[in-house]
Amino acid sequence: MAFKCPPEHEPRLTRRSALCRSGLGVGWLAAAHLLDGGRQAAAAPATPTTLAARPPHFAPRARAVIHIFANGGPSHLDTFDRKPLLEEYAGREIPSHLPTERRTGAALPSPFRFARHGESGLEVSDLFPSVARHADRLLVVRSMHADVPNHEPSLMLMNCGDARLVRPAAGAWVTYGLGTENQNLPGFVAMCPGGYPIKGTENWRSAFLPGAFQGTYIDTQKRSVDELVQYVRHPLLSSDAQRRQFDLTAALDRDHLARRPHDPQLEARLVSMELAWRMQFEAGEAFDVTREPQHVLDRYGDDVQGRQMLIARRLVERGVRYVQVWHGAGQPWDSHDKIVENHSRLAKESDRAIGALLDDLVGLGLLESTLVLWGGEFGRTPTVELPNGQGADGSGRDHNHHGFSVWLAGGGVKGGTVYGATDEFGFKAVDKPVHVHDLQATMLHLLGLDHTKLTYRHSGRDFRLTDVHGTVIKDMLA
Amino acid sequence: MRAALPHLVRLMAAVAVLAPGVVRADAARDFESRVRPLLVAKCQECHGEKVAEAGLRLDSRRALLQGSDAGAVVVPGDAAKSRLIAVVRHAGDVGMPPTGRLTDDEIGVLESWVAAGAPWSGPGGDDASAPPPSRNEEMAQRITEARASHWAFTPPVRHPAPELAHAFPETMRAAWQAAPIDRFVAAGLTAADLAPAPPAAPRDLVRRLCFDLTGLPPSAAEADAFCANPSEEAYRALVDRLLASREHAEHWARTWLDLARYADTMGYAFANQSPLYPFAWTYRDWVVRAIHADLPYDRFVTLQLAADKVAPPVPREDLAALGFLTVGRTFLGNTHDIIDDRIDLVTRGLMGLTASCARCHDHKYEPISAADYYALHGIFASCEIPEELPLIGDPPAGPEADAFALKLTELRQALADHETTVRARGVREAVTHAADYFFETARPATRGADGRPPRLGDRYDLEQFVIDRLARFTDDAQATHPILGPWVMLRTLPDDEIGPRLEALVAGWEASPDPNTIHSLVRSELSSSRPTNLRQLAEAYGRLVARVAPSWAGGPAAVADEPADLASLRTLLGAEGSPFVVPPGDAMRLALQPESTEHRRRKQEITKHLAAASGGPPRAMAISDRARPVDSHIFLRGNPAKPGAKVERRLPQVLGGAAVDRGSSGRLDLARAIVDPANPLTARMLVNWAWTHHFGRGLVETPGDLGLRGEPPSHPELLDDLARRFIEDGKWSLRWLHREIVTTATWRQTSGVDADRVARDPDNRLFGRANRRRLEWEAWRDNLLAAAGTLDLTAAGGRGIDPLALTSLHTRSLYGTLDRQDVPGIMRVFDVANPDTAVHVRSCTTVPQQSLAVLNSPLVVEAAKQVAARSAREAGPDPDGRIVATWRAVLARSPTEAERMLARGWLAGVGDDAGPGGFGSYERLAQAVLASAEFHFID
Repeated sequence: MAFKCPPEHEPRLTRRSALCRSGLGVGWLAAAHLLDGGRQAAAAPATPTTLAARPPHFAPRARAVIHIFANGGPSHLDTFDRKPLLEEYAGREIPSHLPTERRTGAALPSPFRFARHGESGLEVSDLFPSVARHADRLLVVRSMHADVPNHEPSLMLMNCGDARLVRPAAGAWVTYGLGTENQNLPGFVAMCPGGYPIKGTENWRSAFLPGAFQGTYIDTQKRSVDELVQYVRHPLLSSDAQRRQFDLTAALDRDHLARRPHDPQLEARLVSMELAWRMQFEAGEAFDVTREPQHVLDRYGDDVQGRQMLIARRLVERGVRYVQVWHGAGQPWDSHDKIVENHSRLAKESDRAIGALLDDLVGLGLLESTLVLWGGEFGRTPTVELPNGQGADGSGRDHNHHGFSVWLAGGGVKGGTVYGATDEFGFKAVDKPVHVHDLQATMLHLLGLDHTKLTYRHSGRDFRLTDVHGTVIKDMLA
Repeated sequence: MRAALPHLVRLMAAVAVLAPGVVRADAARDFESRVRPLLVAKCQECHGEKVAEAGLRLDSRRALLQGSDAGAVVVPGDAAKSRLIAVVRHAGDVGMPPTGRLTDDEIGVLESWVAAGAPWSGPGGDDASAPPPSRNEEMAQRITEARASHWAFTPPVRHPAPELAHAFPETMRAAWQAAPIDRFVAAGLTAADLAPAPPAAPRDLVRRLCFDLTGLPPSAAEADAFCANPSEEAYRALVDRLLASREHAEHWARTWLDLARYADTMGYAFANQSPLYPFAWTYRDWVVRAIHADLPYDRFVTLQLAADKVAPPVPREDLAALGFLTVGRTFLGNTHDIIDDRIDLVTRGLMGLTASCARCHDHKYEPISAADYYALHGIFASCEIPEELPLIGDPPAGPEADAFALKLTELRQALADHETTVRARGVREAVTHAADYFFETARPATRGADGRPPRLGDRYDLEQFVIDRLARFTDDAQATHPILGPWVMLRTLPDDEIGPRLEALVAGWEASPDPNTIHSLVRSELSSSRPTNLRQLAEAYGRLVARVAPSWAGGPAAVADEPADLASLRTLLGAEGSPFVVPPGDAMRLALQPESTEHRRRKQEITKHLAAASGGPPRAMAISDRARPVDSHIFLRGNPAKPGAKVERRLPQVLGGAAVDRGSSGRLDLARAIVDPANPLTARMLVNWAWTHHFGRGLVETPGDLGLRGEPPSHPELLDDLARRFIEDGKWSLRWLHREIVTTATWRQTSGVDADRVARDPDNRLFGRANRRRLEWEAWRDNLLAAAGTLDLTAAGGRGIDPLALTSLHTRSLYGTLDRQDVPGIMRVFDVANPDTAVHVRSCTTVPQQSLAVLNSPLVVEAAKQVAARSAREAGPDPDGRIVATWRAVLARSPTEAERMLARGWLAGVGDDAGPGGFGSYERLAQAVLASAEFHFID
């Protein structure tokens, strides 16, 4: 996307007068525009260096993304891809065995019960009763596939479009392409309770894109706003005392600027101070779920998943562009053993909160313009992982990149639909396979971005999220 | 195929008597009616003019014959050998089109067309007499053209600086006519009917100069002194003093470290692996020392690429220079990614040549072929990181060093002990399962999906490493071997033939028991056990192994005078290095998961000790040549599993393509070629890089890309002349270059200009004014410390500090430890360089998170407290005195009268409230000034 910033001399007078006229009351559009003029010329002339909202390539269906990352690899066979044949083969070798990370043996039927939901009759297991209430809104992609059965490269592929090399995350690409609608909040937020997922900050990095597009990490294990958002409050001063201090700085700066007219950079800096001032309150407010009425808190559940889904909703409501909600530090969904206990626990932790999030997005009329994605970096094997002294005790499943499921909702996807299929055992995507790059291309498309045109010149090449791959899957669009 | 046959016959008939490519009318009709529509509808969307996936186009015969990045796709006349046909049949690894297989009829059309020689009529057809140039020829032609015509690939030459024009303002003539740079810039301005901006005010100039050369503000007293005497001599003396300072070296070292993608960690590490580079700081300190010593740039680069190879040998401290190559990300140990990082560093980083795109195919835009890339790949593939990094200094003497050494010995012993334990367990279990190993080598079990043999009944997994060793060992043996002979003869027989055959052998041995034919212990084993199938035979050999296994691996205790037959059996089957008795160095090949984890943990303890424990000697993050240098294969589409032709190590063709030394990696030759005065790129890259940092904008605006896709220079003659003079007059001295730039009138212009001037050159492409610039992260933090008065310029070098800790307020930002995996948010929002790639110039953003840090970060709050304490110290209780002291500490100037009044009034409003946490009125005043735009910007 070649951003042509307006020539700097053109709107200067208007901007100056807008600033003088409005004081604290600069309209956000004007403010955003001012910021855009503040770029340092030397760096990269055609690159947006701010988070100001920018038009997409074409009319978008979605304007925000919530990516619920069930990190570790949830089993599609126990959630959204029912395979009755596994019961028939229970305890026996299946004919279409494929290599994965570790050794697996005989077929392991799902211990969970599936039922049809909604008018669409979408099959969902009893792990996700609240999500199942929204069956008619879900587009379940059952034919996802990735490249390798290991967490690290698969996380990188899912988030950054490349398994190994240092590439920006999808959220960074999207905020680079579209900016964000609320300058008082970060444009790309990654929430993960209790620490980082595997690969840590690489999952939301900006890589060669400017640092402003990097995801802002929030540890949602923390409860108080001060702990959640870095530098959101002065450590010592009350708001009133700080306002006095802020006014003095502003007076000095106004004088400084008066003696140095015609410098959009200085103007932008002044505006950015005002923005930061407001951000203290807006960010504090956005991340403070205690402001929600009790009945809302009850619907989400008073636990970490409930809190972070609620924050996700509050952020999207306020115009944050891209929100990632990770289940937890490390790789919680990685059920190499005791799939019954582990998947039951993990689903129980998150189902209610996800259901409540979807309820609210529907209720607030936000689901239409918010693309919700749920899934992991891969799925799990239909065969049992053999005991191996590495945690597996013969009651779990290994990683499976050959075929797995994700679901999408809202944001212009075709609800109540299943797209693609794995083979009869659920090992491999066979019908209409969707590679991770295809998913990414489709998500960008829903946001109004052409994945082949959202590029950034680095090291002599125009890079993009989907590298040289990816096809928009038109059949997923409503 | 059935449907295809008629076409085939028709087409064959059509071309039978004609030269290939000359198409008779009916074949042409077939091409037009059947083939072209298919190509258009099913192929050209991805293999056409706009997109050429895999480098393949199917819109002309010439492109068709050129094939894809992976090679030819058709063999005209032979459909069976044509990849195109295999691919449309979905016969192999790739099936096209990706949206769905063609119908059998359509495939048949293509088959018969290829079989007929792929005739092509109409648009896209070629004259058959001129075969299309191969990709290599085409690439060679591109390289030749680029070398002849692209500005950056021809060596720079000196240009006479133009005389000042008549129109040039008279008052400025004296200042602008001395320096060549100024005359080039003046010519550009005059041509655009512009005059230079007036010189900056002395106070602005001295602040700009100090930040520019040292990354630190002047003290108020220094600034005052210069303002009292802003003469040319005083200015030049100040320039010389600053250029000679260590602080200058520190500041420009940081800029160089951006280019060297410096960080103190390897990036993402596996659990139980320490990501810390214990000695990255020795490279950082070397850069500071080298710049401080004004090491000529050619030498500076040479040492960073090949300090271990230069003659005469350098003092050991200089080996630290090699950290340039080794402080990059390690990509979880992926060799090719590590090499790619190094290739990018030396090509794009040092020469502005974007070679790394050629990893997957010939560069689409630049004259760099995949062969060029893999010729460089071989150079780095011939290098390795030494197991033990070379010492570059003595350990500090005294009890600390002794304790360090003692602990190190302990840790190493513990590691060795662990390896011994693992080996003993591994070998013992292998010996116990010797029969299973023998059996497996003769009749390999069906492998599971994971490629591993099935687990044995007692839950033992055969080790592939041992299987391979035993297989090699027995495969090398002859049937006449006195010990292995019977195994070799019998192992391939079906079970029912083994018994009879062995009976015959036993009979033969009994007839003539020749020890040269059959070893006595083997004979007695087989004679007594009489195996009748392969399993029993393997078990017999297993018993033989058990008899001679080392005692530590479960074998019988050794006796003093071992009989000769037992000794010889032991030599073959039980000695060190025999198939089951894995050598100590390979012990960890037998490790179980928990043992490997334990091993990593112990190794990590050693790394941690070396890195963190005080008392240890410094080491260089060196690189060295492998014993046997190698050439690399071209990896098709960058895939190591698809090796193509091998290329000899050499320089890229666009730089002449000279071969490098065959007897070594060739790193030294590479370094020499980069700093060869005839290299068209190196000096241009460097002077443009320095210019960019001095002016906030480059002569070439893409300092990391001087290639065809980069921006052309705004002042080509100035750039070339400066590059040439940097080599010839400056003798590669960076100090010369800095002086050459900051003593120009161009650099000393004011940044404050009227609207008309801005309007006429909004981007300041002509350098007709100075660019106002925001402080970078390091300078901003250092400026805070300078204001706080806590900065200790002698606290320099050695292991890194935590740049955000309030206990580090005396140390410059350069010395902060940087974890590339976890760059702190505050540093990211201030646009520190991405440490994963060579950065010539940082991006510069304006986002509210920066201001949020200014308002609330503990760093700023602490600095404000220190400023207040300082003003109390320096001025006592007098409010005016404290206001002046605050201004002078923070902004290196006294407040104006208006500012003083404003501050007085403000203080009166706040009152004497001591405030929470000791953050009273003067602390708040200090933070208000620290938060000002003036503090953050350089005029």
